[in-house]
Amino acid sequence: MTAKMKRTSEESQSRLPDNSALKQQQLPAYRLQLTATGVLSGFFATGVFCLGVGIILILSAKSIKEIEIKYTKICGNCAKLREDATNFDKECTCSIPFYLSETMQGNVYMYYKLYGFYQNLYRYILSRSNSQLLGTDLKDVGTCAPFSKSHDGTPIAPCGAIANSIFNDTIILSYNLNSSISIEVPMLRSGITWWTDKYVKFQNPRSKNLSIAFAGTTKPPSWVKSVYELDKEDPENNGFLNDDFIVWMRAAAFPTFKKLYRRLNRIQYFTEGLPAGNYSFNITYNFPVTRFRGEKSVVLSTLTWSGGSNLFLGLAYTVTGAVTWLASFSMMAIHLMLKDRKMFFIQQ
Amino acid sequence: MKVRQAIPVTSELGDISRLAKFDGEVVCEPPNNKLDRFSGTLYWKESKIPLSNQNMLLRGCVLRNTEWCFGLVVFAGPDTKLMQNSGRTKFKRTSIDRLMNTLVLWIFGFLVCMGVILAIGNAIWEHEVGTRFQAYLPWDEAVDSAFFSGFLSFWSYIIILNTVVPISLYVSVEVIRLGHSYFINWDKKMFCAKKRTPAEARTTTLSEELGQVEYVFSDKTGTLTQNIMVFSKCSVSGRSYGDVFDVLGHKAELGERPEPVDFSFNPLADKKFVFWDPSLLEAVKTGDPHAHEFFRLLSLCHTVMSEEKNEGELYYKAQSPDEGALVTAARNFGFVFRSRTPKTITVHEMGTAVTYQLLAILDFNNIRKRMSVIVRNPEGRIRLYCKGADTILLDRLHPSPQELLSTTTDHLNEYAGEGLRTLVLAYKDLDEEYYGGWAQRRLQASLAQDSREDRLASVYEEVESDMVLLGATAIEDKLQQGVPETIALLTLANIKIWVLTGDKQETAVNIGYSCKMLTDDMTEVFIVTGHTVLEVREELRKAREKMLDSPHAVGNGFTCPEKRPSAKLPSVLEAVAGEYALVISGHSLAHALEADMELEFLETACACRAVICCRVTPLQKAQVVELVKKHKKAVTLAIGDGANDVSMIKTAHIGVGISGQEGIQAVLASDYAFSQFKFLQRLLLVHGRWSYLRMCKFLCYFFYKNFAFTMVHFWFGFFCGFSAQTVYDQYFITLYNIVYTSLPVLAMGVFDQDVPEQRSMEYPKLYEPGQLNLLFNKREFFICIAQGIYTSVLTFFIPYGVFAEATRDDGSQLADYQSFAVTVATSLVIVVSVQIGLDTGYWTAINHFFIWGSLAVYFAILFAMHSNGLFDMFPNQFRFVGNAQNTLAQPTVWLTIALTTAVCVMPVVAFRFLKLSLKPGLSDTVRYSQLVRKKQKAQHRCLRRVGRTSSRRSGYAFSHQEGFGELIMSGKNMRLSSLALAGFTTRSSSSWLESLRRKKSDSAGSPSAGPDKPLKG
Repeated sequence: MTAKMKRTSEESQSRLPDNSALKQQQLPAYRLQLTATGVLSGFFATGVFCLGVGIILILSAKSIKEIEIKYTKICGNCAKLREDATNFDKECTCSIPFYLSETMQGNVYMYYKLYGFYQNLYRYILSRSNSQLLGTDLKDVGTCAPFSKSHDGTPIAPCGAIANSIFNDTIILSYNLNSSISIEVPMLRSGITWWTDKYVKFQNPRSKNLSIAFAGTTKPPSWVKSVYELDKEDPENNGFLNDDFIVWMRAAAFPTFKKLYRRLNRIQYFTEGLPAGNYSFNITYNFPVTRFRGEKSVVLSTLTWSGGSNLFLGLAYTVTGAVTWLASFSMMAIHLMLKDRKMFFIQQ
Repeated sequence: MKVRQAIPVTSELGDISRLAKFDGEVVCEPPNNKLDRFSGTLYWKESKIPLSNQNMLLRGCVLRNTEWCFGLVVFAGPDTKLMQNSGRTKFKRTSIDRLMNTLVLWIFGFLVCMGVILAIGNAIWEHEVGTRFQAYLPWDEAVDSAFFSGFLSFWSYIIILNTVVPISLYVSVEVIRLGHSYFINWDKKMFCAKKRTPAEARTTTLSEELGQVEYVFSDKTGTLTQNIMVFSKCSVSGRSYGDVFDVLGHKAELGERPEPVDFSFNPLADKKFVFWDPSLLEAVKTGDPHAHEFFRLLSLCHTVMSEEKNEGELYYKAQSPDEGALVTAARNFGFVFRSRTPKTITVHEMGTAVTYQLLAILDFNNIRKRMSVIVRNPEGRIRLYCKGADTILLDRLHPSPQELLSTTTDHLNEYAGEGLRTLVLAYKDLDEEYYGGWAQRRLQASLAQDSREDRLASVYEEVESDMVLLGATAIEDKLQQGVPETIALLTLANIKIWVLTGDKQETAVNIGYSCKMLTDDMTEVFIVTGHTVLEVREELRKAREKMLDSPHAVGNGFTCPEKRPSAKLPSVLEAVAGEYALVISGHSLAHALEADMELEFLETACACRAVICCRVTPLQKAQVVELVKKHKKAVTLAIGDGANDVSMIKTAHIGVGISGQEGIQAVLASDYAFSQFKFLQRLLLVHGRWSYLRMCKFLCYFFYKNFAFTMVHFWFGFFCGFSAQTVYDQYFITLYNIVYTSLPVLAMGVFDQDVPEQRSMEYPKLYEPGQLNLLFNKREFFICIAQGIYTSVLTFFIPYGVFAEATRDDGSQLADYQSFAVTVATSLVIVVSVQIGLDTGYWTAINHFFIWGSLAVYFAILFAMHSNGLFDMFPNQFRFVGNAQNTLAQPTVWLTIALTTAVCVMPVVAFRFLKLSLKPGLSDTVRYSQLVRKKQKAQHRCLRRVGRTSSRRSGYAFSHQEGFGELIMSGKNMRLSSLALAGFTTRSSSSWLESLRRKKSDSAGSPSAGPDKPLKG
């Protein structure tokens, strides 16, 4: 009898739900509450932070020296020439003199900037073959439509719309020491890419001789030179490893973009940067932009800790900080005004 | 308990061989759902025997007083009356489900609109710019015009933007509901220790609807009451017994009672009987003649059958539990009803056996509302004992002791006010001659061919006059634990409770009072009992008129603006001041539920604070629920325990079954099952409220996060020539909904709490937002969508503004597509994580784990996807190699992400804070008060039983039926008790009740217990 009783009590135990915090919804927890102190101090702190960052960013943006010269119109005759694709073999150069009123201190970077060039089109972005660019399988052009193979069926290397449309102007900056002597400003064409791009994403086919390695492929239709002729002087900068090529292959997010072209080599006259004086850009104009009503320009710029000129971010931070402060003051006012009423309500 | 008898011709077929030869034919009415009517004819051996409801056993009923019976199955399966009463089973869906479907359709429309806009944009772009750009990117061969390109772009955008249609929403919603159902199953506070049954959520699809209930339809017996009658108080010759006094002489409350009265002097006493007032026993012991006569009446005037298996082990089988309670009370006070024969009753009066000669039983019926016995005591004196309704009996008393009459009336009022069932007891001495003459008249009346009933009634009426008042009894129809408290709490939570019962009107009204649904403070209780359409309509109209015309100032100076009497029906509800209640009986309800009157009925009923429908059939219960469901657009909940509640349970939005009382049919049809009515408050106010809150928060956030995620593509379309380029990496798109943002919101949907559970009980008003559907509706949906779009605008345009200018800190380009993708994706993940952090009101360890975990997993996967190793293996699949480490190393990128987060989140915080200050909801206030430790004590609701003196209501309610007296006098049922006795002596005595109980559950659970057959074959 007692055994039976025991059993029933055990059975009753087993049907009784567990008394665990989870099952009884009693888990220890922090109850999030928007308290006046918390919210207001959070707002004030955010306001201070945003204002501070904003002012710093604006100041550093102001310290940057930047020159941009649009040369599509200046080199109007070249632009016109390039509108007709059949003139691809006619060379066209263009010289643009300008005066630098202040020294550009420190590292100076030269960019080309394109207006209205859509590197972010869906089919454009996809039109490349990473396995070909790795050098492992030059014939892998499956993802490169519409520039995968030439008319005779030879695979294109590098294939795809991105590679085909590479920016191929040559820009040389000359410094006029005086009215008669002008010297070419020394520029570095390497070190302008991401490390991962140069050493992971892009590889030449393993071969002593690049021209042999690329045998069986053909150059993209818009290219004048083959890929293994991009930089004959520096084998580290030739073929798929060419820095200009790699930079171009990193597609831009928006139709207006600037890409790094050269870095100032700080030697001779230029150890401090670019001294003030007369300069000129000597441009070999190859890249047609007027066909799609685009524009191109060349930019010289210095840098700060956060990169190039970034006035937008600084202004945005400043505005946000100011608005946050305004908001926190008005919230505090409302809160204080209502406090008495609230207490009354609670005591009811 | 209902009396069912075999027709005499078949009841003689004792054994099986003769039964097997039975070859009668039954012609009867077609299957119908009327439980109280049956007409048919048995053709057997060239004779026609009429069959009535008296000869039928219905499916689902339980045999009492007999072990077995033979029967003939008349209808089976779906033709049985029970099945005819059950409505169709419908698939239940919640209103949020329906809203969700609508919203998803809208979103789909929105998606198509976006697709069209972008397609038009694409066509224009291709026409204006794309054609010129063909040198760099020629059109596909298949594309021959800008228009066709736009057409293709439409479909591309439909595919890209499809994440705005929350497909995983349905799965997540089900997961959350499943979690909520488990919480209900696991709830210890809804576990009934006595019956060892935990609450059970039998459906997992309705949980948030529990937080929106506006109408509760409850069965009475077994749900509100335990169906146990307890002799609770009595008034003997002007003195009331039964109140419990504590030491200081104050009326004591439940829980602080002294010891119960000790009945050990009486060896025949029932151990289970409890009485708290020792003075009554003293009165009996000291030989107070009134008290003796009082209990003598109780032990003689009844139709109870006794059964004595062993010496001193008495079992009473009463037709109604009320009667059983009265006889048991008499038994314990020393007047033990021992046994009866058709002509005698043996009673042990204070230890000595006295046998009374039973001369007549003047049976009970609903018109007479009383019953009497005429007995001759051993001394030869003839006395009539009568018990009955106060309304009837008080008029039939001898008027002499006016004082006694008035005090007894006072006591009756007091009992009635407490919701006790009262009976008045009286006696009358008859002399031999008079009795002889009367017996003759009675015999003649009973032999009369026509209007026998009426003639008998008048004979009875003649003798039951000028009686002497003995006192009154008060029986408590034991409520389930915590019923009045639960009802009060639910009423405070603005939930309207309707009681639908098959019981009689008196019983139902009585329960209404005892569970505080009806109170004497009510302005008026309307009782609708009309038998014709016109009567019912008239009664309803009068009720409405009264509600409109009554003075609006109800005691406390609250006045409502005067309204025109000509105001149309819908305005009645709002305009009524004062508390009304409506009691409507089944036959009136049948008319009231007809198409042309149902709205009138509904308006009247909804204007009342309490509605009681009595004598309703199971189908009518369902019809009432359906009516409210259809016209009030409110969420309904039906709660019941028996097979007759099944259709109502199926019809209501939510059906709750009380388990462990009357079989399992109600539980099987229900959505939620537990064993005590009082758990309903926890189910609704705690589980339901939380479920609703969680579901609403979940939905808001879910729509928000999908819009914030997807709309970015839309904005990007304007900058990428509408070429259907996505902003994010394809892997991010795949994983965003499943991995990065699913678990935190699920954790919130499962675990979130706004206020602790005790608070939602203390402040029932917290339930209101659910009823008004405030937390998730179309407006809230648009707010969420707007917030999502706002977030998408900022997460796109802030990085856009920054990237347009900035360069990396090594001078190279920052604004490449891949870096932009990573920046936007990262800021989006951070923004939605912060947002879920703000939405989560209850940060458990699980929430922490999921939120921080999701962020960690995002970064882990990001770096893994952009790693060199994966790229080396699949160079064409993982194009983003090196992107994460290069981009996220840039301070500019982090400053962008921080700014985006701040700008996205701050307005939300400010908005919520201002809302909290300017327009705090009750839950905010409760939380705030919690915070400042200003916990005021919960308003202790006064649910004490305070005697009301104002009541002029009759507390009479006797669940008795006609016909038993005759049965006893004829001796027909005596055979059974001796037979049963013989059967039981061979078994262990205690197994009898067990077997009865077992049988009860068996027959209730078995698919078809055959209808038709009698107490005894």
